[in-house]
Amino acid sequence: MLDIKNLHASIAGKEILKGINLHINAGETHAIMGPNGAGKSTLSAVLAGNPAYTVTEGEVTFNGKDLLSMAPEVRAREGLFLSFQYPVEIPGVSMTNFMRAAVNAKREHQGLPALNAGEFLKLMRAKRALVELDNKLAGRSVNEGFSGGEKKRNEIFQMAMLEPCLSILDETDSGLDIDALRIVAEGVNKLHTAENATIVITHYQRLLDYIVPDYVHILADGQIVRTGGKELAMELEESGYAGLTNNKG
Amino acid sequence: MQDLQITRGEHKHLVITHVSDETAQWRITQEADSVLTIHLLCLDKGDETTCNVLLDIDQVGEHAETYIYGLGVLSGKQQIKVRTHVRHSVPNGKSEQLLKFAVKDQARGEFVGELIVAPNAQHTDARQTNRNVLLSPTATMHTQPQLEIYADDVKCSHGATTGQIDESALFYMQQRGIAPDEARRLLLAAFFHDVVSTLSESEVEERIQRRIAEKLQ
Repeated sequence: MLDIKNLHASIAGKEILKGINLHINAGETHAIMGPNGAGKSTLSAVLAGNPAYTVTEGEVTFNGKDLLSMAPEVRAREGLFLSFQYPVEIPGVSMTNFMRAAVNAKREHQGLPALNAGEFLKLMRAKRALVELDNKLAGRSVNEGFSGGEKKRNEIFQMAMLEPCLSILDETDSGLDIDALRIVAEGVNKLHTAENATIVITHYQRLLDYIVPDYVHILADGQIVRTGGKELAMELEESGYAGLTNNKG
Repeated sequence: MQDLQITRGEHKHLVITHVSDETAQWRITQEADSVLTIHLLCLDKGDETTCNVLLDIDQVGEHAETYIYGLGVLSGKQQIKVRTHVRHSVPNGKSEQLLKFAVKDQARGEFVGELIVAPNAQHTDARQTNRNVLLSPTATMHTQPQLEIYADDVKCSHGATTGQIDESALFYMQQRGIAPDEARRLLLAAFFHDVVSTLSESEVEERIQRRIAEKLQ
């Protein structure tokens, strides 16, 4: 589904990603862990097409297509979803108008007719229940005045609405208490199928107790230095990043 | 110059719509307990027009209220100058001004907001807000709030900001599959919403939002 080859990227002339190689198949969950500044969030931003970053080398294939040549909105319509570490507040734009524009843009891309108002509201109702958001959601402005936990649940709600084939969860656990973490993780697990894949970017092992990965990759200084199964996260918990990145040879 | 006197206890509602390069100048005096609401809509279809709007308002009777809500979308080589001159000559008056402009291409906008509170106009409650968004690097907006307050027991506030479309909001919307043009349209509809909603008729609101969207294409 996703094939990253020798990906290099920089921001403001500073190279952050220094040759990432990663292959992800449908049905898999990959965790990417690493110390602050390793390039975890840069990787998610580059895959989503954030214009602040420049790809200087390498290629990324997504479902057989060249991902890097697509505009951010086309990547999204092709099924790539990024759950933001810091979801953006958009005062005055209601969740309903926002999601209707997003869902119908994707449907048009797929050659499907737009949903009518009734169908759309029914879909909103079904999906928000998944992350326990109440019926006030529809009229609220996007993320405005949401608590930290609500913002992250709102990200997973949007993921449920858009049914992406590849979801990248960027530090979805940051700022969440244990109850919100459970709701978010259960939502993600319910959305997981054999046809889609998830990349979980996290600093801590805690989230991986709830969303169990098939593979764990350790990112340090812009490169993947170790890959293993879920036990690698446990090892990391005990020895810290220093212990793992030192014996990469 | 059009002169208008609003007598005691009367409510006048003016909608000034700009569809040509005509200049509009109003001089309005308000007697006690009168209410004046003005909606200024600068949504000219042309790209070359120049227009000047002057709203000269004098509250001469106590407990008068003045509301000025304005919006404008300027494109091409359009130039608009809006000047409001609100004078509180007597105590216990109220005025509220909210004006928003979106400027693109080489268009140029100017807002001069003169607010005068006379020495005896105690307990005046006056607010003036001007917010602008520039949609092109060559677009310009000049804003000059001028407050002259000679009374000491008053509530007066003003704010003026000129900014750009929030790039992080734009990217967030794109990441959800929304094309940049559509995202900008949604963001600008939100930007103008508080002005448009003062029109209170939802049909008018829809028409104006549609007009704004057309103008932004």
